[in-house]
Amino acid sequence: MADEIRAEMVANVWKVVAAAGDSVSEGDTLVILESMKMEIPVVAESDGVVRQLAVNEGDVVQEGDLIAVVE
Amino acid sequence: MTTTHVAAEPSTADFRDPEVRLRALFDGGSLRLLIPRDDSGVLYARGEIDGTPAIAYATDATRMGGAMGIEGCRHIVDAVDAAVRERVPVIGVWHSGGARLPEGVVALDGVGQVFAAMVRASGRVPQISVVLGPAAGGAAYGPALTDLVIMSDGGRIFVTGPEVVRSVTGEQVDMERLGGPEPHGRRSGVVHITTKDDAAALAEARKLTFLLGYQGRISPADVADGLDLAALMPAETNRAYDVKPVVKALLDEPGVELHAKWAPNVVTTLGRFAGRTVGVIANNPLRLGGCLDAASAEKAARFVRMCDSLGVPLVVLVDVPGYLPGVGQEWEGVVRRGAKLLHAFAEAVVPRVTLVTRKAYGGAYIAMNSRSLGATAVYAWPTAEVAVMGASAAVNILHRKKIAATRPEDREALRAQLVEDQIRVAGGVNRALEIGVIDDVIKPTETRRRIAEALAAAPAARGAHGNIPL
Repeated sequence: MADEIRAEMVANVWKVVAAAGDSVSEGDTLVILESMKMEIPVVAESDGVVRQLAVNEGDVVQEGDLIAVVE
Repeated sequence: MTTTHVAAEPSTADFRDPEVRLRALFDGGSLRLLIPRDDSGVLYARGEIDGTPAIAYATDATRMGGAMGIEGCRHIVDAVDAAVRERVPVIGVWHSGGARLPEGVVALDGVGQVFAAMVRASGRVPQISVVLGPAAGGAAYGPALTDLVIMSDGGRIFVTGPEVVRSVTGEQVDMERLGGPEPHGRRSGVVHITTKDDAAALAEARKLTFLLGYQGRISPADVADGLDLAALMPAETNRAYDVKPVVKALLDEPGVELHAKWAPNVVTTLGRFAGRTVGVIANNPLRLGGCLDAASAEKAARFVRMCDSLGVPLVVLVDVPGYLPGVGQEWEGVVRRGAKLLHAFAEAVVPRVTLVTRKAYGGAYIAMNSRSLGATAVYAWPTAEVAVMGASAAVNILHRKKIAATRPEDREALRAQLVEDQIRVAGGVNRALEIGVIDDVIKPTETRRRIAEALAAAPAARGAHGNIPL
């Protein structure tokens, strides 16, 4: 089952940690966002493989924007 | 209800059988049916959970899909009223299609009497619901009126089923997507705990019944210093982290997290602390940066009111950058729903201790059980910051003209100096300590003991109100 991971809030993409094709475990950091002057990691919600990383460093994401797909 | 009917071994192993379900809920051998098996569609019993007395009722899914008629509804009312008389928790096991259609308005009247009994009991005894099958129509609001709702993988809660939804709105949806664990655990907030199967759901109900039915006495002498809770947080103050391990380390043993997936920027957990049941409320910086928003304020407010009505003291772990900004939030009612949290804390009479771990800014500082809302004690770690906003943001507003008037190459140095001054006059904990909004600065290693002492020193009290499902 594919998990679509979406931005919870408006933020800047500060660092992209994972890459498409990576195997990840639940809780692994995929991307670090910057918002409210905080570095906020976006983590995998289940074990799987990163199918897609939809953001680049420096992007601004809006609430609900796709960040990654973990399958 | 004086007669006790000794339960016979059920003839089938059908797990939809209410007697099988009640037997699985209670300690082995402790089940006593309080009525004989009948065709009412409801069975109720007395029993023990980890030695703590409780009453439980179950709808009978083997009869008309658990539909509720007047007779069955009267049994539920009797079970709830008996629990209030005996001051014991009451657990409802739900699997019901709603009111019995052949009975018509008589059944509706019965369902309404169930609701009224639940509201009479609200805040007087803990009420826990376990939803193992559909709880539809009138049966949906039974669990929803109780303090805590647990749903197994097979549980479904909805007012109108998929067919009605389809015929009225044209939306194609199945029962699981309409009212299963995913929508109610993550989106609606109807369900506090979702589990992978029925056995796990009953196990969670047992844990919650024991925590609320046997609250214990707080014993600070049993709490040793030395555990460094700050080591569970990153050294960089702008780095987000998951607060759940901190909550776990604070408690004697892992507690029961409620609403884990709904509004996850606030974590609400029932657990044992220094031997006593407490409710822990913590901002979770991992989600939404730990900001309060409409949903999380409402979630925390309901938790505070439940704990207050049942006499459960509160521990509040604060690391909050503020309220989440945005049009969506304002339109979702962050003002109205945020006000619920202010109201809940200000009205609470149970002992309630706040610890500021890293930061408490602005309106969210007030909302998180501040001194002004009547906290029993407010502590802070030495590195904590309490302010209207972060120092650098404040400098940008307060000194915008001064910074703009400076040569570009000197601006950063000036800004750094102003931030330092700002921290001295407005941030840090010293100013907060001076004016008495923080009672003491405590070391991370003595946190558990100091919180336990503060809770133990406060007079035990219990809010005189019900627990409306906010």
